[in-house]
Amino acid sequence: MRFAFVLGEIASGMRRNLVMVVSVVLVTFISLTFVGAAGLLQLQIDQMKGYWYDRVQVAVFLCVENSTSESCASGPVTDEQRTAIEAKLKSPELSAYVDTVQYESQDQALVHFREQLANSPIVEAVTAEQLPESFRVGLVDPEKYEVISEAFSSQPGVDIVSDQREYLEEIFGYINIASLVALGIAVVMSVGAILLIATTIRLSAFSRRRETGIMRLVGASKAIIQLPFVLEGVIAAILGAAIASGTLWAVLRYGGQWLSREYPQMGFISTQELLLVVPALFLLGALLAGASSLLTLRRYLKV
Amino acid sequence: MLPSPTPARALAVLRGRRIAMIRFEHVTKVYDQKSKPALDGVSLDVDRGEFLFLVGASGSGKSTFIRLVLKEDRATRGAVYVAGQNVANIPSWRVPKLRRGIGVVFQDFRLLPNKSVFANVAFAMQVIGKSRAVIRETVPEVLKTVGLEGKNNRMPHELSGGEQQRVAIARAIVNKPGILLADEPTGNLDPTTSMGIMKVLDRINQNGTTVVMATHDDDIVNTMRKRVVELRDGSVVRDDAQGIYIGTTTAAAG
Repeated sequence: MRFAFVLGEIASGMRRNLVMVVSVVLVTFISLTFVGAAGLLQLQIDQMKGYWYDRVQVAVFLCVENSTSESCASGPVTDEQRTAIEAKLKSPELSAYVDTVQYESQDQALVHFREQLANSPIVEAVTAEQLPESFRVGLVDPEKYEVISEAFSSQPGVDIVSDQREYLEEIFGYINIASLVALGIAVVMSVGAILLIATTIRLSAFSRRRETGIMRLVGASKAIIQLPFVLEGVIAAILGAAIASGTLWAVLRYGGQWLSREYPQMGFISTQELLLVVPALFLLGALLAGASSLLTLRRYLKV
Repeated sequence: MLPSPTPARALAVLRGRRIAMIRFEHVTKVYDQKSKPALDGVSLDVDRGEFLFLVGASGSGKSTFIRLVLKEDRATRGAVYVAGQNVANIPSWRVPKLRRGIGVVFQDFRLLPNKSVFANVAFAMQVIGKSRAVIRETVPEVLKTVGLEGKNNRMPHELSGGEQQRVAIARAIVNKPGILLADEPTGNLDPTTSMGIMKVLDRINQNGTTVVMATHDDDIVNTMRKRVVELRDGSVVRDDAQGIYIGTTTAAAG
């Protein structure tokens, strides 16, 4: 009976206050979408770290015809230099840091280059001679890049030592900024949502002051009087969270599909990751609405 | 249900002594420090089953009296007891329980305009969690008590003022409170209709409910010949056992 009664009260309250309820739904939808986007971007970073840190290598590029660095002053790398470099990479001093060493010839470099830039017209113009041969060094601890860099940067025949992790860090930096921006928008929108929920509840309490006055007089408990208002806000917020989740799903499903077709090696997050984000969105929406309506009721609905 | 709130009350019951349904002990209520108190040292006992008229001009403190009984306000000084319990000691979460034991009727009826007669009365039971079956059984019974049988499905705007007040009374007593407070219940009604309302209130009183009615209506007070307490500027100036509206200045104990 009580349950049915509270449901009935909620329904009638939401009907009377439909425009406000719709605006609460929309505002929470937008704010939670940005919260979710920020969360998903962080998950994307984690995913890429997990995927790439195992694969990133330090590349020791060897001198070619047109290298400009000092150690290449004597022209393209010679066979002795190459052998010395390889021996040094496999030496016992470095074995604590070096996990794997792989040689990439100029022809192999061209193949990789063509793979990576498949759609670019540059590919046709590049020949194997223009690309440097290299040693791809997998590190035991990717953070210890400095060791290799110091050991080889002045080695004859070595052009440059480059850490692929740097490129990744740069990408992560951009994603982080995007995620911070999303979070910033989310915070502003959430404040808007809280204020709007508070106003809605206030209006709702005002339009039903007759009912609540009578409920008070006949001795209805505080919970029964306040619950319909709180749930009204919570339901609206949960609707917003549902729409936000749907939007994020659609973005991941279709946007992610497109991205992973375009950049197959990037390791994009899939709709699986929503399983982590969606419950958080619902919880956050319900908390926002519940807290702001309880605070409002304390001021505007005497019990 | 919790056990008796105070040992004193339990003792009083054991001794078979009458306990006052409502007891005011030197109650003063000040709303605003600069102005006169709304109630000024009022002491008053209303016994179980009594019918009391609270008379006096507007601003004499009648409504404050009612608000204090309901614990809508807190007495500035003194103590208010309802059914033997000092309302100041009732924690806020128990106030609803106090109010379930008190029915209230107002001059302006305060019905819910979008609910039928039946639904208006049922509302008072729904919000305290009574079952549908109990509501279906009780509401028609109470509507009959107030003389509204057969009008279950009318809407408030289809009723006369007197009928609307009967609905309000039905709503106030449907949960069988021990006390019925009526704040000028006939203030908006013509004399004939008012007498009808008084008959209803009298019948409720006959069934054992303590009735306190604040009123201006001298005709009613003079006809009913019940206990009359007159307030003036927040003080009790008269307490007659079977009083009339403007009595002699001698105050007799109830």
